[in-house]
Amino acid sequence: MAPRREVAESCLEFLYIELVQSYERKDAECAEKGDGRASRAALESIGFQVGQQLAERYTIDRARFADHLEVIKFICKEFWSEIFRKQVDHLKTNRHRALFVLQDDRFRWLRHLSLPAEQTSNTEAVAKYLVFPCGLIKGALSSFGVNCEVTAEISEDARKPTQCSFEVRIK
Amino acid sequence: MEKINAELFTLTYGSTVRQLLIDNEENVDAVNVQLDKMGYNIGIRLVDEFLAKSSGARCRDFKEAAEMIAKHGLKMFLGVTASVSNWNADNTECSLIMDDNPMVDFVELPEQYSNLSYCNMLCGVFRGALEMVNMRVECWYVRDLLRGDDVFEMRLKLLEVTAESYNDED
Amino acid sequence: MIVCAAVVGPSYNPLHLQTFALDDDPLKYHYIVHCALDVIDERLSPPSPRSRGAGGNDPCLGYLYSTEDFKVYGYVSNTHVKFLLVLDDPETKDVRELFHRFHSAYIDAVSNPFQLPGHSITSRSFEARLRALASS
Repeated sequence: MAPRREVAESCLEFLYIELVQSYERKDAECAEKGDGRASRAALESIGFQVGQQLAERYTIDRARFADHLEVIKFICKEFWSEIFRKQVDHLKTNRHRALFVLQDDRFRWLRHLSLPAEQTSNTEAVAKYLVFPCGLIKGALSSFGVNCEVTAEISEDARKPTQCSFEVRIK
Repeated sequence: MEKINAELFTLTYGSTVRQLLIDNEENVDAVNVQLDKMGYNIGIRLVDEFLAKSSGARCRDFKEAAEMIAKHGLKMFLGVTASVSNWNADNTECSLIMDDNPMVDFVELPEQYSNLSYCNMLCGVFRGALEMVNMRVECWYVRDLLRGDDVFEMRLKLLEVTAESYNDED
Repeated sequence: MIVCAAVVGPSYNPLHLQTFALDDDPLKYHYIVHCALDVIDERLSPPSPRSRGAGGNDPCLGYLYSTEDFKVYGYVSNTHVKFLLVLDDPETKDVRELFHRFHSAYIDAVSNPFQLPGHSITSRSFEARLRALASS
């Protein structure tokens, strides 16, 4: 097998930040002042396709998953490590296993965002950068046969600016 | 410079291009423009990181800048290099020739997109980055691996050298 | 040697079928693929939860069944894509390595941003890689 090719991590960061901002500008230019729903859908869809492609790539020769919980554990460990370069810190499951909360205390893709100082506006500003990763996770899960919605929240704790939780709600 | 497996970047770029085609109702020319514009925005930000990581390398003229992009810039970010050739007589226009680019791994261009300049973002990046070092340029592809050529050839044309503006407040 | 390679999607949608023998009619393999999918279904159900051991969740299912002329082998990825190889060798072969290469080629083919998920694969390089696989 050919050695895996490498690029600078900042290539991905620059692309991903520009993606979010270009959709932001598009929303601002929109005459009818849309609510940004179309842009969110586009960003999620970009992530979704990549998530599907990576799901196939990262599980070659891996034993088939026995159930949803095993899939979620794979997402928390291997998938997260490949993409976000660390594992999920906490996984919470509800009793019926229809809801999983994946918490990352230092989400890598937020580390280079320079944000306005105002805490209240921060939450909303950061949320836009989580649409793409939500799509990635949803795309991978759907490839494994787990139909779900994925949403993200950032910590309200100002001392933990890169802490966030991804909520996976299985349909 | 921290490195990652190219595929995550490659796939994200590909998915971006596909989404832009949907957003622009398959209007390939509009997508070429959009890719260039996004690249420009990236270029003006990326130049800082490049200058910081390339230990104070400075380029005095366009010729040095072209070499810098081909030998160091592309290497640092995409892990490939280009050769610089086909200079015009007054050294204001040249070609960057690349026989490889991780952005196009896995990509096969469907016939209906034969006018798509798939890697056009890179033109924008060069344009943006060079503008930040006071060189206004134009950049376009004359040969494209995805469109049947054996290499990528990007033409780089210097339009003007803008006056250095010193901002020493910070 | 490999006479036919087929890929079938998660909802049994045909994604690719390629034959390698000269003047072969792909149609004759449709029935073989169809029967192979039945065997795969049987192997995978009931979805024995947590039944490990005996390679219960091995993606490579290996030998599935024989016709008069051929032996059919199968592999199922984690994304529920089924890969089938039809061989004309009379003895049963270890096909793990073949399926690994087959799956790798598929992974690269679906990494093309213009390859729509669930649509049949139209890729020259995918076809070339399968031809190389068949002649190896």
